[in-house]
Amino acid sequence: MKSGLIKLAILEFKLFTRNFLSMFFLLVFPSLMLLLFGGIYGNEPELIFGGYGSVDVSVPAYAGIIVSVTGLMSLPLEVCEYREKKILKRFQATPLSPAYVIISQVSVNLLMTIAGMLLLFLTGTIVFNMRFMGSLLPVIAVFLLSMLSVFSMGFLIAGFAPNMRAATAIANLVFFPMLFLTGATIPIELMPELMQNIARFLPVTHVVKAMKAVWLGESISSVYSSLLVLAGVMLVCFFLSLRFFRWE
Amino acid sequence: MKMNMIAVDSLTVKYGELIAVDGVSFNVMEQEIFGIVGPNGAGKTSTVECIEGLRRAYRGKVSVMGLDPWKERQKLYGVMGVQLQDTAYQDRVRVWELCDLFSSLYRDPVPYGELLEIMNLTDKKRAYVANLSGGQRQKLSIVLALIPNPRVVFLDELTTGLDPHARRQMWDLLLQLKERGLTIVLVSHYMDEVEAVCDRVAIMNRGRIISMGTINEVVNSFNLKTEISFSASLHNIGDIEGLTGVVSIARIRDTIKVCGHGDECVAAVLQYLNDNRIAYTNLAVKPPDLEAVFLNLSGYDPAKDGDAANGGGRG
Repeated sequence: MKSGLIKLAILEFKLFTRNFLSMFFLLVFPSLMLLLFGGIYGNEPELIFGGYGSVDVSVPAYAGIIVSVTGLMSLPLEVCEYREKKILKRFQATPLSPAYVIISQVSVNLLMTIAGMLLLFLTGTIVFNMRFMGSLLPVIAVFLLSMLSVFSMGFLIAGFAPNMRAATAIANLVFFPMLFLTGATIPIELMPELMQNIARFLPVTHVVKAMKAVWLGESISSVYSSLLVLAGVMLVCFFLSLRFFRWE
Repeated sequence: MKMNMIAVDSLTVKYGELIAVDGVSFNVMEQEIFGIVGPNGAGKTSTVECIEGLRRAYRGKVSVMGLDPWKERQKLYGVMGVQLQDTAYQDRVRVWELCDLFSSLYRDPVPYGELLEIMNLTDKKRAYVANLSGGQRQKLSIVLALIPNPRVVFLDELTTGLDPHARRQMWDLLLQLKERGLTIVLVSHYMDEVEAVCDRVAIMNRGRIISMGTINEVVNSFNLKTEISFSASLHNIGDIEGLTGVVSIARIRDTIKVCGHGDECVAAVLQYLNDNRIAYTNLAVKPPDLEAVFLNLSGYDPAKDGDAANGGGRG
């Protein structure tokens, strides 16, 4: 049984690495964006970036992309696929509860999210001499909360989507606004007021805001409202998906 | 004396207001191949899922080797092998990886290499499941069902999508497994399959078992007609209609088709032909089989539909 759990987790990890889209958007795309925009703007301190370099502020903002790729795309689609193909049901007829299948999917996605962030961090440090002004503990805490919050949104998608096609549609519908309207890719400060107001309702906006703040060395209490939003989203989505999740 | 492996007593399954299974009872003995057949929506899969512990009975009692499959599922899954109707696997998983994972879930698994060998899948060990043919995927499902070294196996629509050769291989395998002491419950809508492997069969329709027993018992219980056909230049077919057991007679070009009950009918027709020195060729006698039972259940009447298709006769 115990070896079964380990084997299951390893297999889920292998399957993740064989998913080209997830691997690309998680590991290649953020670094590619960084190389592109860092290459254009360099990393000299600029007034428009609040006295920091473009890379210094982009890396924490891209955290928003990274958690969205795993939390809003990879995880809900995996869970839906397993349900639609009756793989969860198949595991129900073994000594291993299908809950462990879901748990190992969540674990693998969490791990890969961290790996994606580390890779981006390394690209920034090695290529652009990125400055990291924050302290490690608050950054880790905010990143963890961000992951859990966005993952629970993904879980809600998985719970509500009737099938794979619907899940893909919903995931795309949620993912792309989160990519472009939250400051993850385009700085929110450059947007007109209307768009900034819309962005305030997207949870990933608060991921970007909070990550940027602690990354640049501001205290964690300066972004408490964003953290509250993320915690609230996490709790609501978590309980809703507990209530509405279907195994088949 | 063989042990009673599965006991189902007045099982009822409801989906909301819909009664999918309506008071079904049967037993399956050790080392028996038990078939459950019936049209789509008859409640076959729901019944089997209750025995597998995947679905809760609304009413009634189910026990497998004395265990309650819903409450004592953990104990049961160590001795039970399951192949579910249309389960797919992850596209990008390799055959050996699935086998390896399933082996790690059981205390005393059968080495999966042996099972792959039996199923002719050894050279597919490193293949992605997505690249297997339909038949190979079905075989993989069976490998996974046998890995636990089970005492009872459930196979739901085992040979759907397989070619005739692969289907016969599958039947041979089932008979071998039975010889090794396995009890098998087979859900199918292929009558030839059930006739080829099952010791006993239950026919389900609209949530109920409407007939159960050996193939012969079941077929006989429906009192269906035997079909006798031959070619002869026979002018007065009306005489045959009056013979013992004959129900209908029709002429289709130069073939004469007689439907009737039992062996007396066959004897009477042959006697008539001989007595009247009528030369006949291409004599064929087709006794009722499960296929006929199935068609009868679904409302297809060979006498009527057959005649209608041939421009009418004497029904």
